[in-house]
Amino acid sequence: MRLVRYTYPAFHSTPSLGGFQRSPWSGLETEIDRLFETALTDFGGNSSEVRFPVDIYEDKDNTYVRAELPGVNRDDISVEMTEGYLTVTAARKTAGTNVEDAESFAFTRSVSVGEDVDVQKVGAAYENGVLTVTLPKREEAKPKKIAIAVK
Amino acid sequence: MSLLNTLVPSFARTAATQDENRPADLAQTVKPAYEVKETADAWGVTVYLPGVAKDGLEITAEEGQVRVIGRRTWKQPDGWTMLHRESTSVPFELVLGHDNAIDAEKIVAELRDGVLRLSLPKHEAVKPRKIAVS
Repeated sequence: MRLVRYTYPAFHSTPSLGGFQRSPWSGLETEIDRLFETALTDFGGNSSEVRFPVDIYEDKDNTYVRAELPGVNRDDISVEMTEGYLTVTAARKTAGTNVEDAESFAFTRSVSVGEDVDVQKVGAAYENGVLTVTLPKREEAKPKKIAIAVK
Repeated sequence: MSLLNTLVPSFARTAATQDENRPADLAQTVKPAYEVKETADAWGVTVYLPGVAKDGLEITAEEGQVRVIGRRTWKQPDGWTMLHRESTSVPFELVLGHDNAIDAEKIVAELRDGVLRLSLPKHEAVKPRKIAVS
């Protein structure tokens, strides 16, 4: 018996309500949003693929991409770089006791990371269900100070 | 929402289940994705908690409810600029009510790679029992 299909939980902030009281409607709103989300993705998109959240950060030396992928084996994650796009593909297999229970979900997402990546030095780490891909910037792309003498 | 609260008086009352002792960082939580599977002896619950490590996880069983709270432990390092953000840093909270059908002493939990697997053994009284006909 499966109660909930895997859709990523969406958090809608409600700043007007303050910290101590939740509106009686907020649970209903969340459920209705999720209902529409699942209905629309089933009609529009490929419903066998699931979307996962991706964050992108940068500092002066690297660009970092964090993807939330809980419960995936490291061997089933593949990270590829082509022409300024980073593609993360992961498969989650759950082996049940019967053959019918074994399911597999495929996740894939492409993110544009720009042209300034040193492709040889890209690294990835997977911890606590979060994949962090570190993309070092090419030397030429790092911000450099140019001293200009003012006459 | 507050206009609706003034128009309909019953909404202005705080919900009876609001707990004043709630820790401040749990004022807003999000419900994680989860699955429940049932076998003859137990319920198996799989909860997806990306970014939660063992020290951020709290599981309590009380009053006919099993409550799972997961706090993400990752902090954005200084020097990182955020370009695009889709995940949240709000704690996860999942409450499962079971009406005392679960033997709380024997709950087994395992957290690996952001997935929490709980095994909630059924109370003896709830297990299907064969009755012999003499």
